[in-house]
Amino acid sequence: MIDAASASLALLARDLRAVARSRSQLYSSLLFPLMLLALLGTGVSSGLSPTSPRILDGDYTSYLAPGMIAMTALFSSTFSSAGFYRDRESGLLRAMLASPHHAQTILFGKALGSILIGTVQALAVLVLAVLIPGIDLAWQFGWLGGVATVIATILALNFMLSGLSLLLALKIKTMQGFHLIMNLVLFPLFFLSGAFFPLDLVPTWLEVIGYINPLTYAVDLLHYASYADSPDGLIGPLIDGLVLGGLAVLLFAVGLRRSPRAV
Amino acid sequence: MTDIQLSVHASEVVTLLGPNGAGKSTILKMLSGEIAPQQGSVSIFGAAHGREARRRIGLVLQEPSTDDLMTLRETLQLHGRLFGLSRGRLNQRCAEMLGSLGLEERADDRCETLSGGLRRRLDIARALLHEPDLLLLDEPTLALDPDSSATIWDTLHDRVSDGAAVVVCSNDTVEAEAHADRVVIVDDGRIVAEDTPANLTAGLLHDALELDWPESAERDVEEIERWEGVGAVVATAEQLFLTVENAAEVVPLLFQRFGSQISGIRIRESSLRDAWFRIVGRPLVDSQGGKE
Repeated sequence: MIDAASASLALLARDLRAVARSRSQLYSSLLFPLMLLALLGTGVSSGLSPTSPRILDGDYTSYLAPGMIAMTALFSSTFSSAGFYRDRESGLLRAMLASPHHAQTILFGKALGSILIGTVQALAVLVLAVLIPGIDLAWQFGWLGGVATVIATILALNFMLSGLSLLLALKIKTMQGFHLIMNLVLFPLFFLSGAFFPLDLVPTWLEVIGYINPLTYAVDLLHYASYADSPDGLIGPLIDGLVLGGLAVLLFAVGLRRSPRAV
Repeated sequence: MTDIQLSVHASEVVTLLGPNGAGKSTILKMLSGEIAPQQGSVSIFGAAHGREARRRIGLVLQEPSTDDLMTLRETLQLHGRLFGLSRGRLNQRCAEMLGSLGLEERADDRCETLSGGLRRRLDIARALLHEPDLLLLDEPTLALDPDSSATIWDTLHDRVSDGAAVVVCSNDTVEAEAHADRVVIVDDGRIVAEDTPANLTAGLLHDALELDWPESAERDVEEIERWEGVGAVVATAEQLFLTVENAAEVVPLLFQRFGSQISGIRIRESSLRDAWFRIVGRPLVDSQGGKE
């Protein structure tokens, strides 16, 4: 057990070091959401004057902030999962799987890296969003509980995405195919998650799809904990937590269990 | 793979010799536990394959398998931690391996800066780091410079002298003859022969001739085989291979009798690759697609 923990931690340390050395990936994952906040947020707030009751005082930049935190988690976790492909193509994964550990221990160590990287980068965007003047987060139940809920949400989201990435990586043999599928799946899900616009503004058929979408529950929980000034119009933490937590456990467990020794 | 029966003993270097696609790497994957045989069984150190067996195996894959963003030292340290080496032992073994493979000056460079030969040395260092009792190596010296090959083999023989068994996949007959205690000839998914290099080459005459002779007639081949001082003759569509007691006596006869049909000739001392011709009936094609 200690052996397995030590192996997973060694793999985690190696992945963290790799990200620290890939400066472009590090910077772009932070700059892209900030750029969206600045350009899209300001543009929509000033140019379109949104009037949904879910967008408080028509301040779209602040509404966008929780969605950008979710987006950062989403993209950095996906980028990190692509490391699985690099290791597979370089043969390093085979070399690691030849160690005495179960394949699940190796893949758990690698997944830990993508979860931690996704979480830290998302929290970095949260910190920057808090520091940016003009972004107004209500923290309706206090900042301590709010931040704890945000961290839990991001962790659950990253566990879910890691499980999904593992499942896809075992089915799709090339990194290009993986990115294509992730983009085809993740972008529509992200657009229909309430991150960019409240779901009560869209036609019913899109709203239905939105509520089937697991990301909706992550974005809802982030809005609930940080941005909203009342629970009105939100799904609520109980259902959000059950859906997100349940899917995180299910996808991560299935992703690890389906991992063969030979890859 | 069909009818594979192979046992490997301590302090023994076994070379699986065969062309690409013969099944050598598949045998290696079965030995490393990456794949299980559809029928039959693999026993490692007297037990079924599992975690304890993997702990005692060192594996080198066909292609260098390093992470460009890691340094050499980090690569070894990660491997050592996966194999449960204590911090002190790991540092000691890293220093020993980097030293014996001539990598100590590059220890803190990233792998992306290494040449193919140095990457291969790093692969070997990693495979040996945890002092395995069984080393499985898939073409470890393919396309390497002679210095790198010699360094790698010196290090492997050191480990063999400590009692480790080594199984090497190769299509290099010269290397097999120089380093293997036993050569297992693998062709078309079967083991067609296995013996010491000396025994495999024992029936060969002293010199080997390789003739460029398109579409040699069967009766010509039979005539040559009847000549005194000529061993077995193997004919392919384009070439004729034979071993002879003395090339200086046979070559003039060949040109006198068949000169107009022979467009080229290569003469050398007979070796394991002639044993391959004799056993398999065709030349061994190397990984570049050319004849060895």
